[in-house]
Amino acid sequence: MKMELNIVDFYSDVLNIYGDIGNLLCLKKRCQWRDITINQKCFSIGEDIDLDYEDTDLILIGGGSDRNQEAIANNFLNQRKYIDSYLDNDGVLLAVCGSYQMFGNNFKNIDGMDINCLEIFDMETIISKDRLIGDIILNSNIELGNDKIVGFENHGGNSYHDYNTLGIVDIGFGNNKDAVDEGLVFKNFIGTYLHGPLLPKNPHLADYLILSALKNKYEISSLSPLDDSIESKAHDFMVNKYLS
Amino acid sequence: MKNDILFKLSFLISRLIYLIVRKMGKKGTALPGKIAMKIKPDILNDLSSRCDNIAIVSGTNGKTTTNNLSNHIFKGKDFKVLSNLNGSNMIQGVISPFIIDKKKHYDWGIFEVDEGSMPVINKYMVPDYIILTNFFRDQLDRYGEVEKVIKTVYDSIKHESTTLILNGDSPTSLYFDDLKNSKIYYSLEKTKFSRDDETSAESVTCPKCNNKLNYEYITYGNIGKYYCLKCGVKNPKPHYVISKTELKDNLYDFTVCDKYGSSKIKLGLLGIYNLYNVLGAISLARENNFSYDLIKKQIENFEFKEGRMEIINTSSSKVILGLTKNPIGLSEILSIIWADNSKKSVMFVLNDYAPDGRDISWIWDVFIKENNDFSNIDKFFCVGTRAEEIALRLKYIDFPEEKLVIYHSKDRYDIEEPILTIISQNNKNYILGTFTAMPEAKKIIMKIKKEESL
Repeated sequence: MKMELNIVDFYSDVLNIYGDIGNLLCLKKRCQWRDITINQKCFSIGEDIDLDYEDTDLILIGGGSDRNQEAIANNFLNQRKYIDSYLDNDGVLLAVCGSYQMFGNNFKNIDGMDINCLEIFDMETIISKDRLIGDIILNSNIELGNDKIVGFENHGGNSYHDYNTLGIVDIGFGNNKDAVDEGLVFKNFIGTYLHGPLLPKNPHLADYLILSALKNKYEISSLSPLDDSIESKAHDFMVNKYLS
Repeated sequence: MKNDILFKLSFLISRLIYLIVRKMGKKGTALPGKIAMKIKPDILNDLSSRCDNIAIVSGTNGKTTTNNLSNHIFKGKDFKVLSNLNGSNMIQGVISPFIIDKKKHYDWGIFEVDEGSMPVINKYMVPDYIILTNFFRDQLDRYGEVEKVIKTVYDSIKHESTTLILNGDSPTSLYFDDLKNSKIYYSLEKTKFSRDDETSAESVTCPKCNNKLNYEYITYGNIGKYYCLKCGVKNPKPHYVISKTELKDNLYDFTVCDKYGSSKIKLGLLGIYNLYNVLGAISLARENNFSYDLIKKQIENFEFKEGRMEIINTSSSKVILGLTKNPIGLSEILSIIWADNSKKSVMFVLNDYAPDGRDISWIWDVFIKENNDFSNIDKFFCVGTRAEEIALRLKYIDFPEEKLVIYHSKDRYDIEEPILTIISQNNKNYILGTFTAMPEAKKIIMKIKKEESL
């Protein structure tokens, strides 16, 4: 039987800076190369899509400028209860940067104004004047087959929470300017500040998301291996540059 | 009196240093300006009074081309024109030409200005015209969000006497709507290169109401015929329009018209974005009563250098150099390369020095349509301090891996070996690269050319 995944990218036409669209491309290609059928849908503002969350296997959300985040905010808040139960039912979701922040209680923008958030996680985000910018390397807290996660961070938000995290920071800042760790992991939710984009250079993490989504539908314990020599070159170059 | 002495001192010392540096064989395009400013920080105030008229070109892409074209058209009328033609566009780059050229009077000063330098330039100069080309995401790790860049430029426009020449097809021009300045818009009618689908490499929300913007067609990036379903905003009525664009023998053939006249012109600069650069320059010229005959003549005899799709022929190979530094620029250059049916190889030198942008994730924001035919590409050389990342990007558009050559450069100077290889293997080669890569690449190719002629 041919396996199939329904991927929904949220707001990729509005929240699409720092190459995050590459995460979607990466998941699509890695499924295609394994002969897994991908059905992709874009959920965005300005269109009336009634999203069937029960038929959704993987959700991706990126980050955007303040103005673009404001543009999607109301629409996003309307999805709150559906996303909450999607995550409760082990739905797989990757939220990067701006959208990661929006899963918390609220965040204060640079003018001290409270921005309404989904309040799915008990997390506070405060925007600081100095942005946290640079290459970042994590020691993964998830069992991935490769310990290191590499990327680039560029965020004004400092996030504080007590959940599990994606990784311990080897190089870079992480959740906030004083943090030792980065991201938020809860069931199959991963929130992170890492761009790069995150998944192409970290194929082990991309495959972890694909496998988690497939496990929700099929009796499957592993994915067929791919030739990741180019991916490894890009990944290892960053690790060696800072850690060797 | 004191001001006068300080001015003369500043001018003389910076000029002297310029002459010494030149004698040593160095270029130093920004150095004289830097020194002059050290002695007299507001020297641009004094210098700008040497120009009867001033025009400034700013925006993300197309500044250098628009500036060079404008300069060339205005010189066609025997005007004395001063410009920073080499792309050095911060304040020191605007001051330097005054020191180097040293005339006491100019009919026109036409300068390109970096978006971030607009506040300081507008503090010391009162431009008669400001041309704003477009606003795209560009090196976000340095400049921050594009809306912040637009706001910086908006806030820098202090004089109501300045006429704004704006790209009518760029929705970002709407951000300048509420300024009291007179505004001139230019526009390109739908071409066969425009796309009907609404996918844009740029995120587009309405500058007026922040709703998602819709397009009848997109010419490139976020530029095209747009409309907002919520607030009803659409492209402003243009004063200058290019229509009937055809591409023949690497030349664009188009008609440009305004209320008072029209002309059929040929342009030898590849890339649909260059039609907008031409429009900016034509608008400035027509606003100053230039005849279309003169404009046509100057555009058709315009030769452009400086690594922006510049062609250099060595004995064995035709090399096309292209500077690329943001998603829109690279999207356009790649679409030219994919559309080129001749056999060729391509090299992309991706560096991550500060001037290039430390964050290389922008290469994933490049718009690449699916199912490209790569059969006419012999090899794709991935070079630079982040060479692997290009290979990775290409893998994910199904570029055949066996055609990839990865050469990781130790530093920005380490690109000679792959350039020698590509030139020896093929008789047509595109060499693209980021900011710190292109001067090096050009130097190496010129060296090869020189050695051939010995």
